[in-house]
Amino acid sequence: MTTLTPELTLPRARPARNPLAPLATLARRRFQLTARTPRELAVPLITPILFALVIAPALKQALHTGSAYESFVATGTIGLLIPLNTLFSGLSVIVDRESGAQRELLAAPIPRPLLVLGNLVVAFAITALQIGVLIGVAVARGIHFHVTGAGLVWFLGAGALFAVGMYGVAETLASRIPKAEEYIARVPAIGIVPWFLAGALFPIKALPGFLTWIARFLPLTHALALVRYGLLDDRGALHDIWGMSSTGAMAGLSLLVVAGFAAVLMAVSIRVFTRSAVG
Amino acid sequence: MTTSTIEVRGLSKTYPGGVQAVRAIDFDVEAGEVFGLLGPNGAGKSTTIGMLTTTVRPTGGHARLAGHDVATEPLAARSQSSVVFQEQVLDRSLSARRNLEIHARLWGVERAETGERIDEIASTLGLDELLDRPVATLSGGQRRRLEIARALVSQPRVLFLDEPTVGLDPRIRAELLDVVAGLRARSGLTIVLTTHYLDEAERLCDRIAVMHLGRIVALDTPDALRDSLGRELVELRVENGDGPAALRSLRTHGIAGGDSFTVGSTVTVPLHDRAAADAVAAIGALDLAPAAIGTRRPTLDDVYLRLTGGRLAEAA
Repeated sequence: MTTLTPELTLPRARPARNPLAPLATLARRRFQLTARTPRELAVPLITPILFALVIAPALKQALHTGSAYESFVATGTIGLLIPLNTLFSGLSVIVDRESGAQRELLAAPIPRPLLVLGNLVVAFAITALQIGVLIGVAVARGIHFHVTGAGLVWFLGAGALFAVGMYGVAETLASRIPKAEEYIARVPAIGIVPWFLAGALFPIKALPGFLTWIARFLPLTHALALVRYGLLDDRGALHDIWGMSSTGAMAGLSLLVVAGFAAVLMAVSIRVFTRSAVG
Repeated sequence: MTTSTIEVRGLSKTYPGGVQAVRAIDFDVEAGEVFGLLGPNGAGKSTTIGMLTTTVRPTGGHARLAGHDVATEPLAARSQSSVVFQEQVLDRSLSARRNLEIHARLWGVERAETGERIDEIASTLGLDELLDRPVATLSGGQRRRLEIARALVSQPRVLFLDEPTVGLDPRIRAELLDVVAGLRARSGLTIVLTTHYLDEAERLCDRIAVMHLGRIVALDTPDALRDSLGRELVELRVENGDGPAALRSLRTHGIAGGDSFTVGSTVTVPLHDRAAADAVAAIGALDLAPAAIGTRRPTLDDVYLRLTGGRLAEAA
């Protein structure tokens, strides 16, 4: 029979010294829970790749559009990939709360916002990986991009900030919604409906006038406009939003909108999490 | 100046909606003490643990862990303690070792020390062979032991055990009680244990606070709590089922004192200085027609019944 009489030394517990060490631990834990198998990384890629490789070329052929439309849809697909991936990452927050180790983490001697940031790091990294794969596959399929150094900065800035903001949405919802089923039911309205309005498949000017105005207020519209500007050197989407002559000014304003979205939603998500996690 | 490892003064929690879970409780726990919070579900035990571990926000009073106020210095307070929660709180798809490593890293254990510490605790708690298995493949008892091992990896000054044996089968429960009893051997480790099992509290705790409806209604050593009812008591069951009427009669005739109590048809009379044979004879002379009568030593159950007017097992 096992001996069950502990005879252990008892030094005093001590707080963590490097504030980044707990964040790295939390992110590694989240990654291990999220990406236990390659399948969990690959499955979310199916829909965007289907769009970029099958639906866009099919639309081009059926509608007799040029190759630019394939590029237009391929970049628009990034606007679907980011919301879907970050929103599904939010499910892990509910799982953690319902059947995981969230209470143990809340009892740890670390600032609780780190729990949100640890999840964000992994959602962000996986989203970035998937966007990289999407672009790589699109290039391999023959879809053309026109990328400059400055364009890459606009693309990375917009994509990163929009992903942060969308993860803020996910974390906020996950903290407020008690059941995974209820959470999943809200994903299409939040993750997919804006995509149809934000100029992913067609310019927002093609929408009825009032919807064009609504589209201008969507952070996704601004993020996609910047992604197209960065990857395709296409200024049309920015002009459809702002109607200005200076591309730099329009891009700067759109980046400001996306940055504001990211900052506000992350702040809200941390506040909602820390308040709702403690009774 | 604070000398207690845990100091609680006027601690209260009222949840939104007005439910008063904990009502201005006071207690101190000394270093190395095993302190029990005994009471049924809803008594406020877990809420008290929640406030001490800063996972529940107090609405009144204050509490200090190793001198750190849980409301104003939550990180410092949390660094002194570990918790084993009532329900299992583990990453089931990760290995047992990984669960222990995560705790060690978050509680600031040096990476170089972590492996050795995990091996030592796993060996002590009989988990050596299980460390590299996913938690999902472990039995309920193994998971509980893993949670205790996890709590000890950071070598806390205070260990909170919130209903650690709830839902376990009797064999695993007995095994876990051995584990907790073994923890007492660790010098300086202060344990706060909540339970609604009287035998657990009696076996493990140096002192017990009996909680009822958010209040501490008694706080003392198990022996002192039992002694408050004297060395012996008479218990009788009346045939007509009217225990309160029988108790009134016993009091009228000077047989039962103010600390006697009744549950349904059973009347319990602490004897204090009176001889048991005299008391039984005096009861026999009355017109109560008891269906059964006997004498026995008081238990913590009797203490709880006297204090709360309800049977602990029924309330739990």
